[in-house]
Amino acid sequence: MALLVAPLVLFILIVFLGPVLRFLWLSVDNSDVAGNLGRTFAALEGWQASSGLPDEAVFQALIADLADARQKGRDGVLAQLINQRKVGARFLVIKTAKDAADGKFATPPLREAVLAQHAGWGDVSLWTEIRRASGGLTDYYLLNSIDLRRGAAGEIAPAPADRAIFLDALVRTIWISFVVTLLCALLSVPLAQAIVSAPPPWSRVMFALVIFPLWTSLLVRTVIWIIVLQKNGPVNNALLFTGLIDQPLSLIYTRFSLYVAMVQVLLPMMVLSLVSVMRRVPASYMKAALSLGAPWTTAWRRVQLPLIMPGFLSGSAIVFVFALGYYITPTLVGGPGDQMISSYIAFYTNTTLNWGLAAALSVQLLLILIASAVLFWSARAVISRPRQAA
Amino acid sequence: MRNLWVSTSAAALLVVAATAVQADDAITVVGWGGNWDKAYKTGVWDKYTEQTGKKIVMEEWDGALAKVRAQVQSGSITWDLVSPEAPAVEIGCAEGLFVPLPEEVTGDPAKYLPGTIHECGVASDTWATILAYNADAIKGEGPKSWADYWNVEKFPGKRGMLAQAQYTIENAMMADGVPPSQVYEELRKPGGIDRAFAMLDKIKPHVVWWTTSTQAMQNLASGEVVMTDQYNARVTNDVVNEKKNYAIVWEAGFFYGTDMWAVVKGSPNEKEALELLTWFSIPENQAGFSKLYAYGTGRIEAADYIPEDWKKNLPTSPDHVKHGAVYDTAFWVENKEALEERFKAWQAQ
Repeated sequence: MALLVAPLVLFILIVFLGPVLRFLWLSVDNSDVAGNLGRTFAALEGWQASSGLPDEAVFQALIADLADARQKGRDGVLAQLINQRKVGARFLVIKTAKDAADGKFATPPLREAVLAQHAGWGDVSLWTEIRRASGGLTDYYLLNSIDLRRGAAGEIAPAPADRAIFLDALVRTIWISFVVTLLCALLSVPLAQAIVSAPPPWSRVMFALVIFPLWTSLLVRTVIWIIVLQKNGPVNNALLFTGLIDQPLSLIYTRFSLYVAMVQVLLPMMVLSLVSVMRRVPASYMKAALSLGAPWTTAWRRVQLPLIMPGFLSGSAIVFVFALGYYITPTLVGGPGDQMISSYIAFYTNTTLNWGLAAALSVQLLLILIASAVLFWSARAVISRPRQAA
Repeated sequence: MRNLWVSTSAAALLVVAATAVQADDAITVVGWGGNWDKAYKTGVWDKYTEQTGKKIVMEEWDGALAKVRAQVQSGSITWDLVSPEAPAVEIGCAEGLFVPLPEEVTGDPAKYLPGTIHECGVASDTWATILAYNADAIKGEGPKSWADYWNVEKFPGKRGMLAQAQYTIENAMMADGVPPSQVYEELRKPGGIDRAFAMLDKIKPHVVWWTTSTQAMQNLASGEVVMTDQYNARVTNDVVNEKKNYAIVWEAGFFYGTDMWAVVKGSPNEKEALELLTWFSIPENQAGFSKLYAYGTGRIEAADYIPEDWKKNLPTSPDHVKHGAVYDTAFWVENKEALEERFKAWQAQ
């Protein structure tokens, strides 16, 4: 048995868990900086911004480190990472590394020679940033991802207001996912009930209609809403025609259009889990409750609802978790104020190549996923307990 | 970064395997794919093969310098000639990934438009981000300047705007009355970038953001926006092929950027690649691409070989280029990440 499962376990380890963990590791990994500036960091030990520019020993270490980095071809990466922390340092690092590798700074004292060639090293704040970047692990990205950063003395301080966006994005992501889950739940109950109660041929047709959209590309299902909701689209035209409005509404690129598109895309998941549970609930239960005199609402609330609750919960878990990770849909049909965490992850991965921050945001998303999984699991445990006792 | 390493070296291995079956004397050129590659093949490479008998193999990429870096560091270089954007040429040149081009190859640098020649590269194409409007939506007199684009009283309707800092803050500065040639000077002054963001604040409620050209053109076609910023060839394409009634407002001011041909250091066909670039620097040969695709050339005289009625579509034609200025590579190399992050934060607020 264990042998039969082994290929699957190996497969998951190698193609799924491994790369994911490796990427998440980037959120604390500092080896590209620490590994290339080892001597510099050692020489900077004990140096403080208040004591002015570092001394000759630090400059010698820096030149030796940069020359090595250049020879290993790591100077470009190093320059990029330093530039993330200190804008404008990129060319300074690359050019100094080139000169160092070419042996331009062969005879000490180097400090004055380097400063004469590359005046940028005379900036104490650059050294402060470099000093702060020492160590094999860094909390820089994780702090950034929750709108915090290290202040001048190394203390943790809130990020400036115009940069503090991630906590907002986090709350927004959870809220949007929650609303989408709620809307899906509300819409799918009558739909699932209709599918289950209809006579077999109709039931099958309706079921197929729910399944069909799943075979269509997510992109197509998303983009079609741009056409439907745009200024001269069918919805606006219909509203104008009936005289309900006299100016076309801005429907697309709003939170509204985002909800519409996400609900449409995720609804089948909820319907499927509800239908599978509802099919197992005999119709006679409701009939029995009604015949005993319960009003329909009471019968539904006290008999039907508890029985289909597991379907609700698993459907909600699927919809909620899927919704958390959405980024193509918000990018295409949402406005800038509707972007979710994943779209920031995509942005930092692709646009600014700040993989550390992308990884830190991924860690956040993963923690929310775990938390919501635990929540749904305990909810299931709670609702199934009375029945086990009975 | 190490993940990238693994994936790129794997990709490099595949490329090695793929190119091993091809003739090894062929020059491998790496372009942007799609219609861009098609225009290059028909307009330039096929002619070179015809004239010299040298074979050219085409590959495509997304401009990521990391891929060149991986090849150079692993020593298994399969690309001879690549076409990165100018900022990437600047970085790659400083890192020693590209071969410096002598004047025998490029010809006299003074004969190129500003920004279209570099120590390590010559322009493969020169594209511009321009102001375009839908003449069906704006009847009568259209916008004449970026200030008009910002003026929602005079021209009611939403504006399409690229959802990134690069190319957008330049437009904001032009709208604030800065001529293109002085935009970077102003941006580099203390508070210059804040000035651009203050302008963006004013237009923000009227903006529909776009990330792909297709999306932007769809919004322009549907009337969702009445004007938009856009890459010039994309607008020309819709005007010529789809008979749309769009106008490009060149005189509003625009910025042009370049992709550049650069020779990968240590490539197996370095000599042949340099020969190809020498041939390419002849104005007539350079014009081959621009005749088919509405992006301009590096060499000024190349314009002489482009039909008069097509020239009006190119950013580098003398009538237009006087309204434009080149994107400042150095500015963006240093500020790109920081500004994009600030822009993203600003957008969400």
